[in-house]
Amino acid sequence: MKKYSGDWYWYYAINSVLVILILFPIYWTFISSVKKPDELITSEPTFYPHTWTWQYYDRIWNYDTDSIRTNTWGETSEDEENNKNKEKESSKIHKTTGSVTQTIGIDDAFTNSAIVSVGTIIFSIIVSTFAGYGLTFFRIPFKEVLFILLITPILVPAISLIIPIYKLLKGLGLTDSYLGLIFLHTTAMLPIGIFMMRNAFSSIPNSLREVALLEGTSELRIIGNVMLPLAIPGLLTVMVFAMYTSWNDYVLAFLFINSPEKTMLNIALAKIALGGSQFEMKWGSLTAGSMISFIPIIIFYTLLQRYFVRGITGSAVKE
Amino acid sequence: MSRLRREQIVGLLMTLPALLLLSIFFLYPLFNSFWMSLHKWPLFGKPKWIGLDNYVWMINDERFWQCLKFTLVYTITVTPMLFIVAIGTALLCNVKTWGTTFFRSIYFLPVVMSFATASFVWLWLYSEWYGVIIFLLKAIGFGPEDGQLSVWTDGWTAMWAVNTMVTWKFAGIQMIILIAGLQSIRDDYYEASRLMGASRFQTIWNITLPLLRPSIALALILSIAGSIQAYEQFQIMTRGGPMNETKTLVMLTIGMGFDYFKLGPAAALGVIIMSILFVITLIQLRLFRKAY
Repeated sequence: MKKYSGDWYWYYAINSVLVILILFPIYWTFISSVKKPDELITSEPTFYPHTWTWQYYDRIWNYDTDSIRTNTWGETSEDEENNKNKEKESSKIHKTTGSVTQTIGIDDAFTNSAIVSVGTIIFSIIVSTFAGYGLTFFRIPFKEVLFILLITPILVPAISLIIPIYKLLKGLGLTDSYLGLIFLHTTAMLPIGIFMMRNAFSSIPNSLREVALLEGTSELRIIGNVMLPLAIPGLLTVMVFAMYTSWNDYVLAFLFINSPEKTMLNIALAKIALGGSQFEMKWGSLTAGSMISFIPIIIFYTLLQRYFVRGITGSAVKE
Repeated sequence: MSRLRREQIVGLLMTLPALLLLSIFFLYPLFNSFWMSLHKWPLFGKPKWIGLDNYVWMINDERFWQCLKFTLVYTITVTPMLFIVAIGTALLCNVKTWGTTFFRSIYFLPVVMSFATASFVWLWLYSEWYGVIIFLLKAIGFGPEDGQLSVWTDGWTAMWAVNTMVTWKFAGIQMIILIAGLQSIRDDYYEASRLMGASRFQTIWNITLPLLRPSIALALILSIAGSIQAYEQFQIMTRGGPMNETKTLVMLTIGMGFDYFKLGPAAALGVIIMSILFVITLIQLRLFRKAY
């Protein structure tokens, strides 16, 4: 590997400029989300927040009860009961009109996205583990053909199949359901998942399995107790990618989820963004929402960075 | 039952969930997209075989050509942008010095942000009245003195604004791919070129880049395939405007299918997008293989 010996300061100078450029949009989003409205909505932006507020986070996180709560300040317990009734009524109205305007808070959207992401993670780990295991250790007819077939989706983007996929989901009754999204996300994950798990299992000697089989261990136990602990890097890569695919999905969630109470996080953000003309957009809420959507994935990234990179280079470097 | 037979059955059972998913959610829609594109699909009633009429209808539609043209222009402009940033950072970060790992992980950071979120974030940065980029552009003398400066009122500037966001967002992936390629180049090549007295630029041009070909091919295929499928960034940031100037093929497909319920033409568009991607990938693989 070559070394920049004499001009290391150029190396650090260029890198520092790049780091600032790359981090700036994220920094700016964060400080925008904690600025007070009069500091945020101004044509003379400040480059750090002079006064801090978490009001946008509070507001979007508790969006649905917001209007009710502002009314209840300083009111008696009697009114509280009234408000409860009001709340019931208002939720009823939303249900009957089926209005697609935002009626849920970011908290519910966050939960929805989390359910689908966790579902996708679990489901893709199960499916890719079994397929990877079967394709590594078993003498299956047409093994290579099966493997290549299973990784073809990487060549055909889901988005060009969006119309037939819509018809299919409709036929299966899976539109507007978490399960439909989980299935689609897992299918999108199949190529990388199976590729990773097969690679992980290939590096484990077959004799290990033979010995366990001779001792009378069942195949499922071998997978759980012997193989998976040795395949943890592969497993983590699958997990990271499943999380990434599912959490970051926008198109599928946008097209296939209709009921407001099932809105996914990214779509809830879009609704905040469109909640008015460009001029009146709720920028504070939008930046706060963006931060909320960014935080889980950034935690994943910090903890499991290596596996993100492995997923990309691993699938890039062909055998 | 023989041991082999048993093993085959258990093995197939293990791949079964994956095969089922693949067949239902990939192979069937794949087949169906061709099937649907050859039929007339009314909202109610039975579909009717009409051969290639959907394709003919689509090709005679002005919107198709406008969107195709824009998608290609976008692909042609954003690919070099991404590549230059990626190869620059990859070469810069292909050293073992203090901080390299840190720099790499920062450059990769935008990649993990969701594309939709990144689009919202940049929408705020570009906001006509309060956006910081607009503020900075004005500060260095762009736009009218006291009036409003907007990147969205013109298709060309809107595209470059989106290109900048996409470069910020995706250069990290390509950088990682290129670094992996760089690391597979053996040190003796550099040693030899140093002994021959080659300058750094000569070394990069004559040694690094040719040996990096497979990684470059992969990075370019990824970026071209991604741009042909462009949807989220334009849907969120420009909504196809102004005057549909920044409407992509996928936006047209989705609009056709989900707003106008013209499922046949929309399916035909899907097949067209698939074919374009297929042809481009083949050409690229051919081009880059020839060089060996």
